[in-house]
Amino acid sequence: MRFSIFRYSPERDEKPYMQAFDIEIQPTDRMLLDVILRIRDSQDDSLTLRKSCREGVCGSDAININGRNGLACVTPVRELKEPVELRPLPTFPIIRDLVVDMTRFYKQYYSIKPYVINDEAAPAKERLQSPQDREKLDGSYECILCACCTSQCPSSWWNPDKFVGPAGLLQAYRFIVDSRDRATRERLDDLGDPYRLFRCRTIMNCTEVCPKGLSPSRAIERIRLTMLNVHGDEGGLALHRVPPIR
Amino acid sequence: MKRKYTGLRAWLVQRVSAVYMFLFIVFFLVHLAVDPPRQYPAWHAWITSPAMSIATAAFFAALLAHAWVGLRDVLVDYVHAMAIRAALLGLVGLSLTGMGVWVVRILWTQHG
Repeated sequence: MRFSIFRYSPERDEKPYMQAFDIEIQPTDRMLLDVILRIRDSQDDSLTLRKSCREGVCGSDAININGRNGLACVTPVRELKEPVELRPLPTFPIIRDLVVDMTRFYKQYYSIKPYVINDEAAPAKERLQSPQDREKLDGSYECILCACCTSQCPSSWWNPDKFVGPAGLLQAYRFIVDSRDRATRERLDDLGDPYRLFRCRTIMNCTEVCPKGLSPSRAIERIRLTMLNVHGDEGGLALHRVPPIR
Repeated sequence: MKRKYTGLRAWLVQRVSAVYMFLFIVFFLVHLAVDPPRQYPAWHAWITSPAMSIATAAFFAALLAHAWVGLRDVLVDYVHAMAIRAALLGLVGLSLTGMGVWVVRILWTQHG
């Protein structure tokens, strides 16, 4: 199979370029990550990428594959259209090759205060939560912060410092609906201005590329309705089938 | 709505105005299909009747508000230099206001 991989090393290169690699697909190659690592080990060991769990739960190897963001370790390699174009996550500052600087992304995540805020006296053991209340977190707690959604969001492209982005807003939703949290009013107040949430145009790139089948756009809509005191579906968010990358 | 919810307010204006405009357009087209005014006097009488005057005025108010929110969103997305953005927003506001005045002149004055 032929691969075209984005290369850029600030110390060495004046500007980025695409490097072509040809490699025989072996029977043991199932996912894209398998092949990238074999390319690195057999042809060019300067190829730089992040990877860890190799099973789609850590989010380290989020990259742009033939134009769509995804996790290399759970993307079947044989179905990809050739030449397979691998690029770093769009618009994120590039450290080297496929490795991007996630600082901006984490900053937006921290800004929504991703922790339960509850100043009531701590109970003897734990703050109880009914199974029904726990279900409300379904479809938002599973986020692995891989940044596939946020780096595919045009509103995040145009205003990365002011728009929180789909991942951050999905986590904002996760804490807004958490029955143990007491800062709902403050969380909603924080998101009412024209930038933090309302840059979202419901383009839905986020939902389309989420490798865990989550729906940030649905969560954002629910936050809007909560701001208006409109109470619709109070249950968790359903996971959807992840469209395959070709 | 509190001052810190200006984003929500704009989003609501855009959607409420869209719903109203849709209903008005459907009503307008159905009326033209079912009972069209065939000469100018009949048309004028219909459009300037109290009910239609209010509904039409509301339609154009909705249209201008909707267009303002939409264009402001585009400028906020793409124009980050505040001075240029302010100038462009002023231009858009002026144009929309001018169009509003023009609508009033055409529909409800002799100068139309």
